[in-house]
Amino acid sequence: MNELVNLKNITLIYQSLDSETLALDNINLDVKNEEFVSIVGPSGCGKTTILSIITGLIKPTSGEVEVADKSPNPKDGVIGYMFQRDNLLPWRTIEKNILFGLELNKKLDKNRKNYALELAKKYGLKDFLKKHPAELSGGMRQRVALIRTLALKPRLLLLDEPFSALDYQTRLELCDDIYDIIKKEHKTAVLVTHDIQEAISMSDKIYVLTARPGRIKAIHKLDFDANLTPFERRKTDKAKQLFDVIWQEIQNEKQDKI
Amino acid sequence: MKNKIKFSKAHYDYLKKYRIKKIVVVITQISLLIALLLAWEFLTKYEIISSFFFSSPSKIVKTLKDLWNSGELIYHSTITLNETLIGFAIATGIGFLVAFILWYSSFLRNVAEPYIVVLNSLPKIALGPIIIIWFGAGSKAIIFMCILIVVIVTILNILNAFTNCDKQLIALAQSLGANKIQIFFKLILPSSLKDIVSTLKVNVGLSWIGAIMGEYLVSRAGLGYLLIYGGQVFNLNLVMTATVVLCVLASFMYFAVALFEKLMNKHFK
Repeated sequence: MNELVNLKNITLIYQSLDSETLALDNINLDVKNEEFVSIVGPSGCGKTTILSIITGLIKPTSGEVEVADKSPNPKDGVIGYMFQRDNLLPWRTIEKNILFGLELNKKLDKNRKNYALELAKKYGLKDFLKKHPAELSGGMRQRVALIRTLALKPRLLLLDEPFSALDYQTRLELCDDIYDIIKKEHKTAVLVTHDIQEAISMSDKIYVLTARPGRIKAIHKLDFDANLTPFERRKTDKAKQLFDVIWQEIQNEKQDKI
Repeated sequence: MKNKIKFSKAHYDYLKKYRIKKIVVVITQISLLIALLLAWEFLTKYEIISSFFFSSPSKIVKTLKDLWNSGELIYHSTITLNETLIGFAIATGIGFLVAFILWYSSFLRNVAEPYIVVLNSLPKIALGPIIIIWFGAGSKAIIFMCILIVVIVTILNILNAFTNCDKQLIALAQSLGANKIQIFFKLILPSSLKDIVSTLKVNVGLSWIGAIMGEYLVSRAGLGYLLIYGGQVFNLNLVMTATVVLCVLASFMYFAVALFEKLMNKHFK
């Protein structure tokens, strides 16, 4: 099996004291090894919820979840999570922040430590290791956050709008950087975003979700030249056409609701 | 300034101005104190205000000397200082522990909430008679009073600091596989350090209040006893002297905590 993630007929109903809400309705989703999959959709469509289901933090009301042929367990280290905010601990140096995950898992041996620090050096953080997060720019900090996640050698990376808190310029640069790191380290990734262009620029496959309840509206398989960087991809005609298609799908969706 | 960077002249001027401002403040503070003491001394010396009711700096110094020579100064100060320190330590310790437990278990936190609210709003001095009956009229009762006054505020402040930790940081630590104890020691504790130190500062003041109030209730020794005794026999010299000693001791304890804060900041920066 070369499928790393497999969601089958996932339905999720949220319970609260005065109502119940159908959040996800019959979601089928699969991610192959070393594939880059994006989930786009209007806000509130349950994109992040899908990530929580993949990590095993939320149990679906019905349906099956398999990650690496097992039901997901947040503690088994298969999955690395990257948040919208870098969440670096301000009182720790960059080095200590990068090693934070290893420290929590009591895996701070020489090999793993070296691996993490090598990653940091390879991706341009060499001169910053002894500094504190406040001394770094937003893009740098987000890169530290990714290295911190990679230090635990996860097979699957879940990216929860990791670029949306950054300014446009930084966002484009970091998009290239992160894409480069993920490809070079042969990681599988699921990106959640509301930015259609961003999804097109990085993914092999895009799932378009409807507004609440989240249903899969369309699946797009992308076949760009593998040598293009996300930035170069954005400029191709193919990307522009696909943008129009997805844009229309989401617009239609909104009109259907009204 | 350890890494010798050459600054511009403007920067040195800026530093100089800053220093001068600081020195002016200190000089003013000291002169104000001296002026007050001199005014007090002269006004009472020429009986413009009664030296019987207001005592005077020279009389306070004389009383201090007498108390020192008879050994009473050390005796009474040590007793009160002991009660305060023990009360402070026990109350802070218990407060911290309870706050940790209540942070750990949201069930216990919900259960404990109304009890803490009631205990917090209750004037602890009202428990005086009960404390005397339970603990007798001695140091134990005073220390218990001190603990009662300090502990509830400690629990509330520290628990508040613990629960206010950034939820996103906690989510991150969980995604990296942290358990609850790790989250406490690696996230909650370092991020509540500032609040913990400010709680300690408040506790210094409160534990002096506790100890003195305890001594007002029951005691045959201590600075609170000197105050009450001095008041009863209209010996204002004694009352003023005890107050001065109290001021000095309390400031020392406050500065000790401030020093601790500095060390902590250095360590965790």
